[in-house]
Amino acid sequence: MTQASPAPAAGAQLTTTKTTVEFRAALVAMAIVALIPLGVSNPYWLGVLIVSMYFAILAGGWNLLAGYAGQFSLAPATFAMIGAYTTGLLGTYYNVPPLLGIAAAIVVSGLVGLVLGRAVLRLVGPYLALTTLSFAEIMRLVASNTIDITRGDLGLGVAGLPIGRLAWYYLFLAVLVVLLILFYLLLRSKAGLFLQAIRDDEVAARRAGVDVVFWKTAAFTLSAAASGLAGALYAHFAELVTPELGLIAQTGLILSMAVIGGMGTLAGPLVAAFLVYVLSEWLRDVGGYQLVVFAALVVIFARFFREGLWGLAKAAVRRWRQA
Amino acid sequence: MTLLSVNGVTKRYGGLTAVDDVSFDIMASELVGLIGPNGSGKTTLLNILSGLATADAGEILLDDTPCHGLTPEQLAHRGVMRMFQLTRVFRRMNVIDNLLVAGRALGLDHGEALTRAHALISELRLDAVAALDAGQLSGGQMKLLEFGVCFMVPPRIALLDEPFAAVHPTMKEIMGAFIRARHAKGQTFILVSHDMPVVVELCPRAICMNAGAVVIDAPTREVLNDARVIEAYLGGHAA
Repeated sequence: MTQASPAPAAGAQLTTTKTTVEFRAALVAMAIVALIPLGVSNPYWLGVLIVSMYFAILAGGWNLLAGYAGQFSLAPATFAMIGAYTTGLLGTYYNVPPLLGIAAAIVVSGLVGLVLGRAVLRLVGPYLALTTLSFAEIMRLVASNTIDITRGDLGLGVAGLPIGRLAWYYLFLAVLVVLLILFYLLLRSKAGLFLQAIRDDEVAARRAGVDVVFWKTAAFTLSAAASGLAGALYAHFAELVTPELGLIAQTGLILSMAVIGGMGTLAGPLVAAFLVYVLSEWLRDVGGYQLVVFAALVVIFARFFREGLWGLAKAAVRRWRQA
Repeated sequence: MTLLSVNGVTKRYGGLTAVDDVSFDIMASELVGLIGPNGSGKTTLLNILSGLATADAGEILLDDTPCHGLTPEQLAHRGVMRMFQLTRVFRRMNVIDNLLVAGRALGLDHGEALTRAHALISELRLDAVAALDAGQLSGGQMKLLEFGVCFMVPPRIALLDEPFAAVHPTMKEIMGAFIRARHAKGQTFILVSHDMPVVVELCPRAICMNAGAVVIDAPTREVLNDARVIEAYLGGHAA
């Protein structure tokens, strides 16, 4: 190895470059996911992977808001629930077809995200977390107590789609890949710089001329819309919506995926969504211990490996190249 | 030509008048020192000028257009750039990305922003650390980086709050040279500093504040020899 660094700043990897590397890694991971059905035809495990993709969308959306923009919301599962109920209620009461219902779910959850984002604009850290947590619990209680409309905890039947499990698998994968591409295009643009600047120091970002109000609100809106889309798809897949979609335990699972995968990285949370969810299915036989395991993992990763599995993988590759 | 005009600006925090009916004009290409003992209202005045605080009374004109009540981001677009006494950088972003944020936010395209970032990095001698996250820099290097952020798009006026405080002498020299070079090209500055030798050397004109009010606004030599200024620093009317 030579010691001299050639051009100034040659070792510096721009945010845009970093994002591109992560995007490519995420695409490779998605290609592998696309090949899995060649070897796995068991509908149970296909179902597990479909739910993993549901969580991957949620973890990706939450990561945009919390990992990049630094807005630690505790309501990602709530927006999935809002999206699911939007299409569920529209279908039940107005016979709206699923595709339109899903589109409406994106809009409605995005709008609710926008309103929540504006409401919590000045809150930081624990205050933001607690306010979004209260919002999440209030929404869930409203859904479970408005029995006349939502049928409460009994759940609301939702129309399915006339497609088989394998088609569902690739539908979820397609949506996941489209969102991945959208997030990549967004983060590779100046928006990626601005969101991270807001995360690191809001005052410094404003001083530099970043429109903090706009970008924070945009992050809330996009993140909520992505979650709403995931929830609406899931509703038609499961053919049922219950308030359980918005349980804080669901948010906990989403959080642990993003933290273990690597917050503020494009690939980490997506890949970790599969690992964590599949692992949680395996651990199901052991009983209630899975949450203990994930909680411990989250604490360990948050404390010692801030870039999560993605950071560890990056370090491993660097060591391997130097050897 | 008057670039910045401060007329009767007043700011009260409860019973304390932090800035008391302050008025002065800054001409284009001036480098004005703003001095005064601790608690005399210098930073509060800078906060008002940079949009982080709002004045209770008075008006501020930038290029003959009112600019009081604007947010920091709006003022950044109008060309008011503030450097903080407690350095503010984007700690988990590398040096180049820190500069790119300001460049892109102020309307440069990626290529232009990158070119300027590299030019500033070598001017501020940050080449060796350009790949590091800002949080890994030394205090002085962070200050230099903040200079760079403020000058990605040269502002109409730069407000520097104690840039030399607690900084390694070498860094201090780089900063001094940077300010001199920019001033020679016509850049306008307000420089808050406790470092009198530096103020004497850099600033032809100085404004001294005490207890929120302007004590004297004159050529720097004259200001430093003024009895009221000496009294303000030595606390003549304290207690």
